[in-house]
Amino acid sequence: MRDWLNKPAKAAYLFIFPSMVILLVFTLVPVVSSVVIGFFNLNMFFKDTSFVGLQNYAKLLADRRVWNSFGNTLMFMLMEVPLQVTLGLFVAVLVSRASWFVRLARSVLFIPVVCSLTSISIIWSLILDPTIGIIPYYTQLLGLGKCTFLKDPNLAMPIIVFLSVWKNFGQTMVILLAGIQSINPTYYEAAMVEGAKPAQQFFRITLPLLLPNVAFCVITNLIGSMQVFDQVYVATRGGPMFRTETAVMYIYTRAFSAPFQLGYASAIATVLFVIIMILSLTLNRWFLKREEAVYA
Amino acid sequence: MMVQPMPRHVKPFKLKHVGSTLVLMALLALVLYPFLWMVISSLKAEPDIVTYPPQFFAPGYTLVQYQRVFSAIPLWMYLRNTAIFAFGTTLFSVLFDSMAGYAFARIRFKGRKALFNLVLITMMIPFQITMIPLFIQIFKMGLLNTFAGLILPRMTSAFGIFMMRSYFVSLPRDLEEAARIDGLNEIGIFFRIMLPLCKAAMLALGIFLLMGNWNDLIYPLMLTTTTEMRTLPSGLAMFVGERVTQYGPSIAGSVISLLPLLILYFFAQRYFIAGIAMTGMKD
Repeated sequence: MRDWLNKPAKAAYLFIFPSMVILLVFTLVPVVSSVVIGFFNLNMFFKDTSFVGLQNYAKLLADRRVWNSFGNTLMFMLMEVPLQVTLGLFVAVLVSRASWFVRLARSVLFIPVVCSLTSISIIWSLILDPTIGIIPYYTQLLGLGKCTFLKDPNLAMPIIVFLSVWKNFGQTMVILLAGIQSINPTYYEAAMVEGAKPAQQFFRITLPLLLPNVAFCVITNLIGSMQVFDQVYVATRGGPMFRTETAVMYIYTRAFSAPFQLGYASAIATVLFVIIMILSLTLNRWFLKREEAVYA
Repeated sequence: MMVQPMPRHVKPFKLKHVGSTLVLMALLALVLYPFLWMVISSLKAEPDIVTYPPQFFAPGYTLVQYQRVFSAIPLWMYLRNTAIFAFGTTLFSVLFDSMAGYAFARIRFKGRKALFNLVLITMMIPFQITMIPLFIQIFKMGLLNTFAGLILPRMTSAFGIFMMRSYFVSLPRDLEEAARIDGLNEIGIFFRIMLPLCKAAMLALGIFLLMGNWNDLIYPLMLTTTTEMRTLPSGLAMFVGERVTQYGPSIAGSVISLLPLLILYFFAQRYFIAGIAMTGMKD
């Protein structure tokens, strides 16, 4: 017993024990079971459970709502990630000076990151509400007609994207700002002596040196955007006409509302997982190549 | 430093910033507008909210929407549940993450590399893939609708272990050796020597986890089915989803749910920002 407290190599196991057990039981076991459950016909009442092999996968390939929700998720990702990272980068450069106003701006622009997506989605959907919202009223005054925004099948997804960018760009800003501040200032001093313009400084110094940080933001945002749920659940519930139903929204609906098909939902979740893994590994490799080119 | 002193032409230097200041002000307005609208609207009577054309301000203000939301949904209970869930999760996670991070950073033991790689792999697994099996586990353990069920799976976080490990690696070598010579055991070294040194890192991690859990929607939504166990986000989401939209109470409820973290942000801003900045660090 004393050994466990006095020998570092033994005490280490005491230190990691709680974390390892929790990670094993509540993350690693579920990952494996998710794949396994995908081969079963399993509902929430755990009755009539049966092994169905690849049937769930055959079914999901023929399920139009699966294709639709994955397509919507892809649309969301293609709009959200570039907008968010570009805006985050742009703002990070804007707030990389030090003055009282800039510091105040940083604090304020970060506020949405602190807020729950649930409340944010409620507020924005009311501001855009066709009955009480100010913005639909103004679009009408401007002669754009009565925009119904979240109830308009063509506008709903772009609004969900806008809401997500609004909520998250502060996060990208902070991560990239930390990157900008760790760039050696002598590079800029040298550039200034050479008479480089701000735009040249940005494209020749800031951006190349920031590439690892930008890559990190792109990849994490990409993974995050494949899992978009909260804003859709609160603001549209996947509507109108399933135009904002994302993959996770559909998985959640399949699993946790009648007829509670846990097995089928797990199969869809497994497909989503594989797609996320392939995407992030591919992007990671692509960025690594780019970085090598910069530092070579 | 061989940089020449800048010639004193102050004016063009300032002019350069006019553009960026204007852009920043526009962004500030875009960020602040919904919050102002929310607070002001939550103080309006229902007719002033639905009036046409919509008005930003109202002729008079009232607290009636707050009374209405508190009588429509058990908001105090949601607040209490959210606090127990978020703080409980955070306290355990910060402790366990620090312990594991410390061992991975500073002790050589068999299987260290393999186990740490496992932590890194866990970090890459999205929650959605574990969601359904996790639900079944908690259900079978009889922990659905309990705080134990909500807290247990989140008592550690792979990211937290990773982060604390990076911090412990950066501490000077041989810190422990002196303590060992003084006869302190390993547990004592961790709690008396190491933990006091990483208060700031623990606070940043704590705030980061608190924010994530306080705001989380899908996780508590899935693991709770009764009104009594809902958290603020899940309870509010059900409230706006289930009935005909009640504008005033929805707005007042949102204010109540945002307020605690915003107050905390006001006082502990640098830890919020440090926590997010840390997610972006490379080892």
